[in-house]
Amino acid sequence: MAHPALVPPVLVDPLPEYEDSVGPRRRRPSAWHLLLLPLSLVMLTPLAWMVVTAVSTVQESRQFPPRLPSSIQWSNFVAVWTTAPFGRWLINTAVVSAIVVASNLVFCSLAGYAFARLRFRGSGLAFMLLLATLMVPFQVVLIPTLLIVKSFGLIDHLGALIVPNLVTAFGVFMMRQFFLALPPELEEAGRMDGASRAGVFLKIVTPLMGPALATLAILTFLSIWNDFLWPLVAIQSPENMTMQLGLSTFQGSHLTDWPLLMAATLMSQLPVILLFLAGQRMFVRSIASSGIK
Amino acid sequence: MAPIVLDGIRKVYPGKPPVVALESLDLTIDDGELVAFVGPSGCGKSTVLRCVAGLEKLSAGRVVIGGREVQELPPGRRDIAMVFQTYALYPHLTVYKNLAFPLKERHVPRERLDSDVRRVAEMLELTPLLRRRPAQLSGGQRQRVAMGRALVREPVAFLLDEPLSNLDAKLRTQMRTEIAAIHRRLGITTIYVTHDQVEAMTLGDRIVVMRDGRLQQVGTPAQVYENPSNLFVAGFLGTPTMNRIVGHTSHGVVTAGSLRLAVPGAPDGESVLGIRPESLRMEDTHAGWPSFEVAVSHVEALGNENLVHARVAGRPAQLDLDSASALAEDTVVFRAPPKVRPETGGTVRVQLDPSQLLLFDRPTGERIRLLGPATVIDSTEIIH
Amino acid sequence: MVRTAEAPAASAPVEGRPSVLRRVWWSDHLAGWAFISPTVVLIGLFGLVPVVWAFVLSFQQNDLISPGKWVGLANYKKLLHDPLFANSVRNTIVYTAVFVPVSVIGALLVAAALNRRVRGITFYRLAVFIPVVTSTVATATMFSWLLDPDFGLVNAALSKVGIASQGFFRDPHEALMSIVLMTVWGWLGFGVIIYLAALQSVPADLLEAAAIDGCSRWRAFWRVEVPLLAPATLFLVIWLTINALQLFDEIFVTTKGGPVGATTVVVYYLYQQAFQYFNGGYASAIAYVLFLAILVVTVVQLTAGRRLSHAER
Repeated sequence: MAHPALVPPVLVDPLPEYEDSVGPRRRRPSAWHLLLLPLSLVMLTPLAWMVVTAVSTVQESRQFPPRLPSSIQWSNFVAVWTTAPFGRWLINTAVVSAIVVASNLVFCSLAGYAFARLRFRGSGLAFMLLLATLMVPFQVVLIPTLLIVKSFGLIDHLGALIVPNLVTAFGVFMMRQFFLALPPELEEAGRMDGASRAGVFLKIVTPLMGPALATLAILTFLSIWNDFLWPLVAIQSPENMTMQLGLSTFQGSHLTDWPLLMAATLMSQLPVILLFLAGQRMFVRSIASSGIK
Repeated sequence: MAPIVLDGIRKVYPGKPPVVALESLDLTIDDGELVAFVGPSGCGKSTVLRCVAGLEKLSAGRVVIGGREVQELPPGRRDIAMVFQTYALYPHLTVYKNLAFPLKERHVPRERLDSDVRRVAEMLELTPLLRRRPAQLSGGQRQRVAMGRALVREPVAFLLDEPLSNLDAKLRTQMRTEIAAIHRRLGITTIYVTHDQVEAMTLGDRIVVMRDGRLQQVGTPAQVYENPSNLFVAGFLGTPTMNRIVGHTSHGVVTAGSLRLAVPGAPDGESVLGIRPESLRMEDTHAGWPSFEVAVSHVEALGNENLVHARVAGRPAQLDLDSASALAEDTVVFRAPPKVRPETGGTVRVQLDPSQLLLFDRPTGERIRLLGPATVIDSTEIIH
Repeated sequence: MVRTAEAPAASAPVEGRPSVLRRVWWSDHLAGWAFISPTVVLIGLFGLVPVVWAFVLSFQQNDLISPGKWVGLANYKKLLHDPLFANSVRNTIVYTAVFVPVSVIGALLVAAALNRRVRGITFYRLAVFIPVVTSTVATATMFSWLLDPDFGLVNAALSKVGIASQGFFRDPHEALMSIVLMTVWGWLGFGVIIYLAALQSVPADLLEAAAIDGCSRWRAFWRVEVPLLAPATLFLVIWLTINALQLFDEIFVTTKGGPVGATTVVVYYLYQQAFQYFNGGYASAIAYVLFLAILVVTVVQLTAGRRLSHAER
């Protein structure tokens, strides 16, 4: 064998390019469409049918087998606004959501940060108790909460929907997890640079809370939006009802006027569906992260 | 600039059993000195730094910076600055704002703030990057911003926590020289923590070797390298690691395999011969130097030199530093010039410079200081 | 360069702690309690106090208006012999036993189908996700109409393929399953979101290794991906079970517990007792039994889940 020093180095050929998947070759439509398309249509059917019925007349809705309406009846939508305090329901829900979300963002961040970063006597016990409340189903505290709210004179008042929800244990837990995951060096650097504890929180930590706050906001909003049992029990007057509650009473009193009912349902869901479509990536990410327990 | 005095500092973490991160440690760092703390993970070097910084509370002892006792003060009031291993740059602020942050916290007026920031940016070649965010910077650039943020305040002391360990090898070498240059230029008292002994040796005016929360040795790089006080220090500094051959001393003669040397002043007992790779030569030209044959097991060609791993006949055993037990292997490592490349499996003759020999007491690891140079007893023909 | 110290030197430490240290220690303490006090007060008032109070209530006969009367364990004893309660328990168990597996497996399969880059995948995914944001009341209303025995779309479709019209919500034998259908539709998107997130976090090199080992895509899915989804599956099973056991809204809006008690679930029965018959104490006892059941079921599921994942190793 020749001495290695005598063999001149050889230039190795560059590797041939991989067959590029993008190219003139026409891509065949995937077979998955055969499965996904019917699936999506089935999932969308209830919503689609709701829309169809909402623009039908009562007679058209009583056809069997059902037929598509001959013309679009906008009158149903108008009727909903006039026969029920629909606008009030919308405003009530919006007000309650806004206040509850805002207060949760503030209080859960403060508490979550304190539990994650600050050391003070009693913090362990306080956090344990907080966690414990997470395990208790709402139905257990339903009646006593009602009695407490009654003693504050908030029955049949929007306050009954707001006050018990100003802070949620879940929100605190979530924010604590977030703060625990922040690298402590950032705050240490801040302290070395001379910021006080509050300064560190406001100037360094708060700007980084964006995504976590967005998630908390979305999840809190969804839970308020969906809440039914509590408003059912705490609110009686139609003007103070939330959308959910209002819709159910509406349904109770217009049982056979399906177009009217569907119009009401459609209008009640439209804001949230539009919100979802606008921010669906954030929504989906928030819901996915609620699974990381 | 100020001297730093560590007076009996001690840090214990509660638990069952409690963890002693720092045994009582005393050290005086002179004004303007760069002291490198070096040691394996968990030796306590970062703990020392964090205690000086104020990020950990001392269990006992005092930290005095520039004549002021600071151990009760929060970090922001000690007039010191720190560069974190992960840089800890504020991700939502531009480079300019990152550099300005410490000055803003001290309510430095805007003009002076701007000039200070620009001066530091200039010094660290960050001026074109001032509008960028940390996420848009490379590792080396981030490191410089971290240093800039620490320097912009002109602190009296400068703490660096493994600042180069997140950089690739080439960048590390480059930044090392930059840090040395900055230190020469600004003359700030610096504590530099690293696990890389090359950084410690090249940057430190003095080196502190630590292990298990205890100070092993303090001295200039030359002192610590040439005169290690125990086996751990000797084995920690120097690449490739010093050869440590197990032997036995009696009546002033140490026997290790087929090596026999007179070691005046050495007490009887189990010993370890410390032979640095550069103390072994592949020539046969020095009279009076012990020489012996070794069987080459493999050669690592590094381009600028060759590292030869070879087995010493007569079966002396090497000492494993971690377990303090004798390894079965009896290879030694020595250096050969790049053009000299012994064949694997062949035998070569090596000579040992006895003036470079280090002798250690095996049970304690302590260095045994000889009263005179070690000398050869036998001419060293090996009997297989 | 002479630097002046920035802060006055710490007061000379005499005996005990210097004042600076105490100030620092206090500020941490104060800050901590300041930060958590609104939370502690609110959750204490609306979380902890009611839990204890409900417990007390469960030992009383209380119509929520006049002061209650202490009856000891009478409520709990009554629960054991109450045929209506037993009926509600049975309905709840049947509902849960069907809803949870169908939802979990359905979500898994749909998520697997949606976990690919096909043109229009966003549309398909949205179609599955949107039902998640529709409220329970809206879902119930939509399905009341869809499943209307006389004019509903579903019966029309069935008659097209020659199946007779079904009673759905009006048929005692079909009502509960109709509820299942409705809630599966509403919850599917949630499970899909969870599974999609889990599927997308499967490291690509695992699948590449399987491909090199000659594993078909189908087998790779079941042998490699699904086991990695175990935590997501466990979470979903637990979460959906807890929600299933608390079913209420849809029942209230559609069947109101009927027909003939076929869809009376535990929480609906609780609601009736508290707000229609004014047996607040009895209702609280029911609530506590439900609480206990949820706890037990969750613990069982958690330990079973952990044991299964250990068995696989």
